[in-house]
Amino acid sequence: MSEQNLQGSLINSELIASLAARTALETPGVLRLEPTIKGFLASLGPAALANFHISGSQDGSYRHDGVVARINDGTATVHLDIATDIAYTALSVAESVQERVRENICHTGLNPGPVHVHILTIEASPGSIPR
Amino acid sequence: MALEDTRRLGCGRSIDQIWAGMDQPPTSHEEDCELCQAAKARMQKIKEATVALRESDLHNPEMTLPAERTNSIMALARAEARRSKRLVLRGTEYGTVEISEQALSSLIRLAAAAIPGIHSRRCRIEVQSDAEMGSTHLTINLRVATASGIDIPATVEGLRQKINKAIPAGVGIDAGTVNITVEDLYDV
Ligand SMILES: [Zn+2]
Repeated sequence: MSEQNLQGSLINSELIASLAARTALETPGVLRLEPTIKGFLASLGPAALANFHISGSQDGSYRHDGVVARINDGTATVHLDIATDIAYTALSVAESVQERVRENICHTGLNPGPVHVHILTIEASPGSIPR
Repeated sequence: MALEDTRRLGCGRSIDQIWAGMDQPPTSHEEDCELCQAAKARMQKIKEATVALRESDLHNPEMTLPAERTNSIMALARAEARRSKRLVLRGTEYGTVEISEQALSSLIRLAAAAIPGIHSRRCRIEVQSDAEMGSTHLTINLRVATASGIDIPATVEGLRQKINKAIPAGVGIDAGTVNITVEDLYDV
């Protein structure tokens, strides 16, 4: 079995999506990932997804709340929708997410492709003092 | 900073209230407001999914509790409304960074709320990006009402300075061109 095949069998888009989600949530200044319709339906269980004729990985991509990951020819592409903390500079937070996610993709043996980050909202973190 | 401040579109309408009125015919404001229309179009898909969900619930007693689900549907509706207008902040080989116009206009409304004698009204933002230069130039068009009897030029200048600080601090780019139009006076 070649290394490429080994990679293909071990690292799937679901793993990359959960790695990217976890990495984003651990980045200072990220409050949460933002929900998507598909992620919402998936959270209700397989029955809800089946009702709407949606499968987790129709086009080889995997999505749950706030993250889509796709693997093509050994390169992983990620899209994240985030909410950031107003105490931080949103663009710096997003760039830090890009850097960390790409670094962690490297650890899986895949090539890091573009990591697209969409800042949907900038809010005070629930624990912070209102200003 | 109240959470409610971050849940308004650039026109000043609350996303939660637009969602609550999804079943009603459009208001006269909504008929003329491109921001409300775009947000409603995005939220319409969730409305359809939730209607279908309610029907399928009758046959599916194991699904999540209604209260919990109402909260997650509301969070989803807000996210979809925010996806309706987006601006590219940066594009590199590492990927693009986009921001919702709603996040930007919320920061501007917040800046205006800190200036006594100013009520912010409609806020629209345009962005000119030069991908090769890696530069982004914003044009902020903000309409305000001012309290009667205040020094309008000084107050507007104070607001401009506030926005010129708030955007770099909150977003990480220059505020660019800030056009402030005083369209009305209100009595204090
Ligand atoms: Zn509107």
